[in-house]
Amino acid sequence: MRRHLVIALFLVLLLISAGRAAGGQRVVSILHINDFHGFAEPYKPFGSDELLGGIASLASEVEKLRAQRPTLLVSAGDMIQGNNWANLFLGASVIELMNEMKFDAMVLGNHEFDFGTEVLRKRISEARFPVLGANVGGLDLIRPYVIKEIEGVRIAFLGVVTEDVPLTTHPRNVSGLSFLPVASTVEKYLELLRGKADIVVLLSHIGHAADRDLAAKVNGITAIIGGHSHTKVLNPVVINNTVIVQAWEHGKALGRLDLYIEDRKVVRAESGLIEIRPAREITDSAVSRLVRKYSEKVDAVLDEQVGEALTDLDGEHVRSQETNLGDFIADIMRQTAQADAAIIGGGSIRTSIKKGKIRIKHVYAVSPFNNYIVAVRLTGRQVREALEHGLSAIDEGAGRFPQVSGISFSYNRSAAVGSRVRELMIAGLPAEPAREYTIATDDFLAAGGDGYKVFGEAVRASKDFADVGGTLKGERLVYSNAGKWVRDVIADHIKAVKIIAPTVVGRIREVKD
Amino acid sequence: MNISVNDCTVSLYPPMTTVRHALLTAGLMEEFESGKKVYDEWGNETGLDGALQEGAKIYVR
Repeated sequence: MRRHLVIALFLVLLLISAGRAAGGQRVVSILHINDFHGFAEPYKPFGSDELLGGIASLASEVEKLRAQRPTLLVSAGDMIQGNNWANLFLGASVIELMNEMKFDAMVLGNHEFDFGTEVLRKRISEARFPVLGANVGGLDLIRPYVIKEIEGVRIAFLGVVTEDVPLTTHPRNVSGLSFLPVASTVEKYLELLRGKADIVVLLSHIGHAADRDLAAKVNGITAIIGGHSHTKVLNPVVINNTVIVQAWEHGKALGRLDLYIEDRKVVRAESGLIEIRPAREITDSAVSRLVRKYSEKVDAVLDEQVGEALTDLDGEHVRSQETNLGDFIADIMRQTAQADAAIIGGGSIRTSIKKGKIRIKHVYAVSPFNNYIVAVRLTGRQVREALEHGLSAIDEGAGRFPQVSGISFSYNRSAAVGSRVRELMIAGLPAEPAREYTIATDDFLAAGGDGYKVFGEAVRASKDFADVGGTLKGERLVYSNAGKWVRDVIADHIKAVKIIAPTVVGRIREVKD
Repeated sequence: MNISVNDCTVSLYPPMTTVRHALLTAGLMEEFESGKKVYDEWGNETGLDGALQEGAKIYVR
């Protein structure tokens, strides 16, 4: 097996000036991962020709280390949501995996909430390990901390998640829950744990920069095992006697934190990352069998029929003209966001669907990206500006060509870039330049993808986000559902309506003058 | 919130506050896709879906 110890274990600190104890030194290894997001199988990251990750290989490393010394295995959150291996089973596959790997604890990440609280409660009830969230209110199945006694030492794992969860998932997913300030929560539990635990390790899903800030501010944390920022911490830092580590993402690395303990106090800590690459010999472990089982289920689910198309759905010409598939997807996004209109990039539609049975894999091939729906308030002038940008590279077949819903317009491709749009209608009426309209799109375009600037400019004009009737909204960013990919919204829609036959209705018309 | 990408200020808004959104806003996504990596201000590599916080500094190289 190609095992890569990225760094020789670093000597990172002397936490306590060593008062030499009678019982000698003991070593406990805390193994950790974060931001797994269901990446059970190896994959090639952008720009890499090499397969990385693979949870069966990572599990094999865990077992090797368990055979060497007392060991605990923990997660710093964002485990159950992400790719198909997790999402198609609403995270149940990941919990089964973590049970098989005998995790000792995990903290909730913000994406654990993406399937809603009912599903989350079910996942927590399935877990044979404690799920932590000291700063989460309203979720009765979770615990603030757990104390593990190992080698006669009581190690408390305290868990916290970012306070921004309500901003990063759909509001209904966190209805009735509260997310308390991290620092004061940690201080409260450090006080409570005094005398109950010898060592406090914080499982933190707040990001590496926030971990550093927290360590500087709060005394008494032995180590912070972090997540949320997907940071590959090769050179762990020590701030205010707290060692801070994080193990990248997607199971591409296994973190190892070795605590050297005397007299129930940490006298030294070493940490490092073991990069994970797929190993040929790991084909018959319990974990590899479990990965295969769910991968086969993924294939079966992707092959499921969700509906039927009575006509061919054109994903081929989406970069140059209105198509029925472009209309269909834009309609779904507009309806989902309850927006006045929708503008999506033709480049987000990657292929066609033939007339006949529609399977989930067809929908996923059409919309393969991990994009989600947002809606932004734009003026009529800004809508026109967005469309002008969409038409600015029409002869090059650029992905920015717009597919629309709730909008109809004519354009002259021979006109100068920036002045090609002619008649523009929104919601059946001539667009008013100063009037605001709610426009659905995806987070890719809203963030400036394909060169679209207007959405970002509009959002930048927002005042602070506010809690409006229990829903967090910005003034101009009025809808987002970061936990649900566009492809799943489309698949759900087809499942609901069963038979579709969209036609081109003349929303985008080319004119000569 | 304001962060910086290659020392240029970029404004991001929740929930679009990941490294990916920062690169899209900064027009640097193609550089990432061509094989460059993203690092935080302390030299740690970060993943595309990593969350950013106010004042973060990232570098594509």
